[in-house]
Amino acid sequence: MLKVDIQSAPPVVTLVCSGRIVLGVEAETLRCVATARSERHLLLELSHVSRIDAAGLGVLVELHCWAEQRSATLTIANPSPRAHNLIALTSLNRVLHLCGCDGAADCGSLEWQTMTA
Amino acid sequence: MQEARPAVEQQTLSRDFALTGNLDALTPGRDAIMHFVREHCAGEQQEVDIQLALQEALANAILHGCKNDAGKLVHCSVEISPSAIEFIVRDCGEGFDTASAADEAEDGTNLTQHGRGILLIRSLMDEVSYRRNGSELHMKKLRSSG
Repeated sequence: MLKVDIQSAPPVVTLVCSGRIVLGVEAETLRCVATARSERHLLLELSHVSRIDAAGLGVLVELHCWAEQRSATLTIANPSPRAHNLIALTSLNRVLHLCGCDGAADCGSLEWQTMTA
Repeated sequence: MQEARPAVEQQTLSRDFALTGNLDALTPGRDAIMHFVREHCAGEQQEVDIQLALQEALANAILHGCKNDAGKLVHCSVEISPSAIEFIVRDCGEGFDTASAADEAEDGTNLTQHGRGILLIRSLMDEVSYRRNGSELHMKKLRSSG
């Protein structure tokens, strides 16, 4: 199961994800919820994501590309240790914008920057 | 009195599983295999790693090998020895170019949707190989590894 709480403060929207981002309805849910947003800055809060698989990572990549095409931004905030480990294993930390984890920007300052952009 | 050791400490256990080649069978099939394997994992982290690798292997067999067709089958053989847990996942597809599929995802700057599952399997398991032109995956987790 995946639960997505939407916190909108234009031009920023934060999607707080809890549960699993895995192949099937969960990955589809995240894709649909995210691509339905019109805000220019999308923050995916993943601290409560217990599991993620290749399909879930694929959705993160897809949303990253989708945001770039719209001249928008996607930031992955506070990924859980498991999610962060798999993002690193697949080298996606080199392309995805991460904050709130080792070697990444601080989420507080990043959120402030995007909100005042 | 000495406590009885699990049978696997002295011998090899094996079991074969078959699941239909559609996504509805993925989670129940994976869970049935993990039910057999779980108590032999070295720890929680190893169990999580094996479960994800198995999920990716079965998903690839279903989606790419069987084309999500419930009329086809995916076979999974599991062998638990004192030193390792080994899986053979076989589908009825034509196989694929395993080297290029993994290479596509190896470099994080490649943003295609292909090969990420294979890369995860290779990262999480200790030994991984493909046979039969890619339609048969062999993956092994050493029981002493994390």
